[in-house]
Amino acid sequence: MNLRDYEGIAEPGDLRAIEHMAARLEGRKMLHVNSTAAGGGVAELLARMVPLFKGLGIDVRWEVMQADRPFFEATKNIHNSLQGQGAPLTKEMWDTYRIVNTENARRIDLDADFTVIHDPQPAMFIDYRKRGIWIWRCHIDISSPEPMTWHFLKDIVKNYEASVFSVASFAQSLPITQFLMQPTIDPLAEKNVQIEDEEVKAIYERLGVPLDKPVLLQVSRFDPFKDPIGVIEAYRLAKKYHDCCLVLAGGTATDDPEGEKVLAEVQEKAGGDPDIHILLLPPFSDREVNALQRGATIVLQKSTREGFGLVVAEALWKKKPVIAGDVGGIPLQVIEGLTGYLVHSVEGAAYRIRQLLENPELARRMGEAGREHIRRNFITTKNIRNYLGFWTALEKKEKVIYV
Amino acid sequence: MEEKKAFRFYECFALTTLTGRRAANIVEFVEILRTASAEAIFHHMHQYFLKPHAVMPEFPNDFAVWVSESLNEPLLAEALANVNPFEFTNIEELRAEILRIIGDYLRAYPPPRPVLPGREFMFNEGITIVIPTDIEAMQIHDFAQKLKTVDYSSIYFHFYESRLRLGRPADDFSEFLSTTLECPGVAARIKSLDPYMYSTEVLRDKIVKLVEEAL
Repeated sequence: MNLRDYEGIAEPGDLRAIEHMAARLEGRKMLHVNSTAAGGGVAELLARMVPLFKGLGIDVRWEVMQADRPFFEATKNIHNSLQGQGAPLTKEMWDTYRIVNTENARRIDLDADFTVIHDPQPAMFIDYRKRGIWIWRCHIDISSPEPMTWHFLKDIVKNYEASVFSVASFAQSLPITQFLMQPTIDPLAEKNVQIEDEEVKAIYERLGVPLDKPVLLQVSRFDPFKDPIGVIEAYRLAKKYHDCCLVLAGGTATDDPEGEKVLAEVQEKAGGDPDIHILLLPPFSDREVNALQRGATIVLQKSTREGFGLVVAEALWKKKPVIAGDVGGIPLQVIEGLTGYLVHSVEGAAYRIRQLLENPELARRMGEAGREHIRRNFITTKNIRNYLGFWTALEKKEKVIYV
Repeated sequence: MEEKKAFRFYECFALTTLTGRRAANIVEFVEILRTASAEAIFHHMHQYFLKPHAVMPEFPNDFAVWVSESLNEPLLAEALANVNPFEFTNIEELRAEILRIIGDYLRAYPPPRPVLPGREFMFNEGITIVIPTDIEAMQIHDFAQKLKTVDYSSIYFHFYESRLRLGRPADDFSEFLSTTLECPGVAARIKSLDPYMYSTEVLRDKIVKLVEEAL
């Protein structure tokens, strides 16, 4: 996989900018650190971006934290409280956080010219910086954090050169540069690459979902912020008017112990309805997710909190209209009435489902507009370009930089 | 005889930086606008022209869009949309004009209600990265062809950003056409295009058409 594979998809100017900046940075060291190798959007992004950086001549490494359940419970708590839900952490949790960060920072070679630390889990690595520029990439919504948790994290984050947020409203009062960068999807990844209708049908059949009626689909972790219960309620309201089925497809991530509990609640709510299909997809089910999205009539993402919601971009890329919660980065992707609808309630979601099932031509037009919107703004090459831009900007420290 | 210098196309992109300052109502907006950096005002009045648009915003500056979509004050939004940033060579004059418009509005009408949570205006700034390309043109027909192939950001850099760089209402295209290629007619027609009325994609088509008509 190399950058020129994106010719015909990415903006040619982006490809030229990337190659020009990369030529200046060739041979230099870049390091990415996150907390999980598989499952979740961050791991997906890194899995695609790291080979591209390598192909550009950047000496890049991706390191993953090693940790056990108590650490992930603590960091899930940090995650929830930064997103405004959940209590402050206990002293034991913070101690676990500190110990695991210290162990990992000592284990991993942190020698690099440009280090990107992803999310709060490894944020404390900054205390073990050897050299170079360090940026903290925050993928979650911290617009209304629980104050004590943010106070603790802010004390860590202020030691970086810069932070990067996915949505402008996530920015905080910080004494360091704060960049805005939306995450992206990779159109050439297994999850987004073009696949034939026959394969889509075969995968639906294998997963036990008949394609004999319109398919409503939500792909997300089983997480209360994704409101899978609300999705079932919206489906039930819409089903009174249109015979349709609902697919809730979710993966699990090693850093998400809460998922099992939510899954049980969802199964209970579904109550044996044969038209509700709850699919627990194992890691590396990208082809299946691709097929599910392509076979869907409408894609839902009824989140009540969201970092960015890349699954929305995936669905739009496949020309599907999306009905989604008006939170986080979703309004950047779902342009009201043009690429889908933003909803604020179960009733709102149900109404929009009915509207789109009633009007396939409108759904088709939204899908077309959605794909172009994603192509122009939310594909991998934009992130590659921006990371090289951050590196360049933080080294040169000017407002207008001629590379 | 002096050799003619080829026109080299530059492209660019902006990195958005966040100030963390946000306004939930018009009073907060005015307070922040008074002390916001010149870079922030420049960013919000110009970024429309540098961004790729699959879906065009209603107005070409962020202030007008926020007032329209989040404050739901169409009258004020229209007034702000009419502020042409390219008429100002000084950001302080531009700031004063925006504050004057809002002040006049607030004297005539009751203040609008605060925006819904999540719809606050976020004051941002930008860092521009400029990339020289290998795309060059020496002759007018070649110039038209190359203009079709460069990124939309090249149109921004040579037509919009040039006004700040050169410190006068001029653009690199008409300068090249008039001085190097000695085509004053087409140069004058390009120079007379109103930059505020077009996205870069539309502007590119306009300029290409004018150049091709001159072939």
